[in-house]
Amino acid sequence: MDDFMSKVTTSATMLLTGFTVVFSVLILLILIIYIYGTIVTKAQQKGNKSKKGKLKENQIKEQDTSEKSVIQTDAANVYQSNEVPGEIVAVIAAAVDSMYGSDTKIKIKNIKKSGTRSAWANAGILDNTRPF
Amino acid sequence: MEIIDGFLKAVNGVLESSGILHLQWQNYVMIGVSIILMYLAIRKQYEPLLLLPIAFGMLLVNLCPEIMAAQETHLMTAEECIAAKGSIEGYSTTIIDGITYYDVPTYGGLLYYLYQGVKLGIYPPLIFLGIGAMTDFGPLIANPKSFILGAAAQLGIFITFVGAIFLGFTNAQAGAISIIGGADGPTAIFVTSKLAPELLGSIAIAAYSYMALVPIIQPPIMKALTTKKERSVVMSQLRPVSKLEKIMFPVIVTIIIALLLPDAAPLVGMLMLGNLFKESGVVDRICKTAQNELMNIITIFLGVTVGATATGTNFLKPETLKIILLGLIAFCFGTAFGVLFGKLMYKLTGGKVNPLIGSAGVSAVPMAARVSQKVGQSENPSNYLLMHAMGPNVAGVIGSAVAAGVLLSVIPH
Repeated sequence: MDDFMSKVTTSATMLLTGFTVVFSVLILLILIIYIYGTIVTKAQQKGNKSKKGKLKENQIKEQDTSEKSVIQTDAANVYQSNEVPGEIVAVIAAAVDSMYGSDTKIKIKNIKKSGTRSAWANAGILDNTRPF
Repeated sequence: MEIIDGFLKAVNGVLESSGILHLQWQNYVMIGVSIILMYLAIRKQYEPLLLLPIAFGMLLVNLCPEIMAAQETHLMTAEECIAAKGSIEGYSTTIIDGITYYDVPTYGGLLYYLYQGVKLGIYPPLIFLGIGAMTDFGPLIANPKSFILGAAAQLGIFITFVGAIFLGFTNAQAGAISIIGGADGPTAIFVTSKLAPELLGSIAIAAYSYMALVPIIQPPIMKALTTKKERSVVMSQLRPVSKLEKIMFPVIVTIIIALLLPDAAPLVGMLMLGNLFKESGVVDRICKTAQNELMNIITIFLGVTVGATATGTNFLKPETLKIILLGLIAFCFGTAFGVLFGKLMYKLTGGKVNPLIGSAGVSAVPMAARVSQKVGQSENPSNYLLMHAMGPNVAGVIGSAVAAGVLLSVIPH
């Protein structure tokens, strides 16, 4: 009889503890995920709104500086005859400018596409040269 | 004449050391069982990644029990030591009743050393590392209510514990048997290695067999507990989950579970570390290693050594039948509780949740989620429940680790 009662006690303890702890821990996780999910989503929505605002500002600025952009486009057109997109020319020019500084006068005379590697070769090189 | 004598002695020695004279009938039965398991793994493809190494480990240990023998130290007199080893140099000595004995070590079998990873609880968390690196917790983050279903499906574990206690098992053995209901192989092995290592072979085989039989065991229970209308519910699309949320998830889960249930920390910690590798996107190589090479190596070691615990004398006992029966009960109860809580959520949400996704809470990733999808689609061919079922499915992995933590913290070991 004692043995039976001890089995009943052990079983009831385990059932109660198991049910309570498993549900409590997982419900706590639900609450926390809801809270941080809401915070992250709201923060990202705010971020998106400010990005949109900045985009609008940039569009207005672009309209104001239309004369300057004409000159840049003309420069880009020279290189577009070489099948290099204007955006790439702009990026390379900006990179060169940031490297040498605005005090030095530099002319970019020619930009050539290498284009000899396939996408697979590029992926292989990336995979093997990426640092640990 | 001397040559013939020598030859006969050598043949006699070979025969004496061979298994033919030493093996017991139980070993031959187990060799048969291992061949059946190999057939099921290869021909029927029942969890072949684990069942095949388990079956082969079982075959090896029953053919050659020494392969699992522990290392020992024999006390030998000087004469015995010289006869056996040719020298007494290099051995430490022990003096008993004035006689000097030399401590001559014999080394353990190959699988004995590999088994230490199971015995010390190293392999299951490493498997969890690989599982974490392969798991997308997005569906769970998008719908955290899935955790309720993952928790409900663990209730089978605690119900089975009661059954095992009343069938005469000790508390520790009952805890180890009941974890089969979690339908999670590494968790079952982790808990059993700590609570009842003597039952490891039977419990691992029962756990993996039931996991392989998920598509057969679950559908009748799912259909019996739900109506056609409930099974046909089409759930709305899950919200997209941002990368930041996915990165924060493993860190938050680890902090909470390790603080509340330190016994579950090795399993959940490794699971979440693997997931952080995946979601952070900055350790691509480590993530690939955890998903592939590391996971495969550990799977081989785990499978072979767990199989090697199933020796004839250990496995062929009435207890094994009880374990297999209790494992089935645990599994069925887990599925039933998952579906019943799914029904509850169906009622509470006004019919927005399909109760079939509840059965996926028993872990067994991704098989249980596929079963929910299949049963749901048999009612409504345009219904796609897979992503919704993946939420409770991955919640079940965390839930079973939490349940394991409860068992380990409540039962003395």
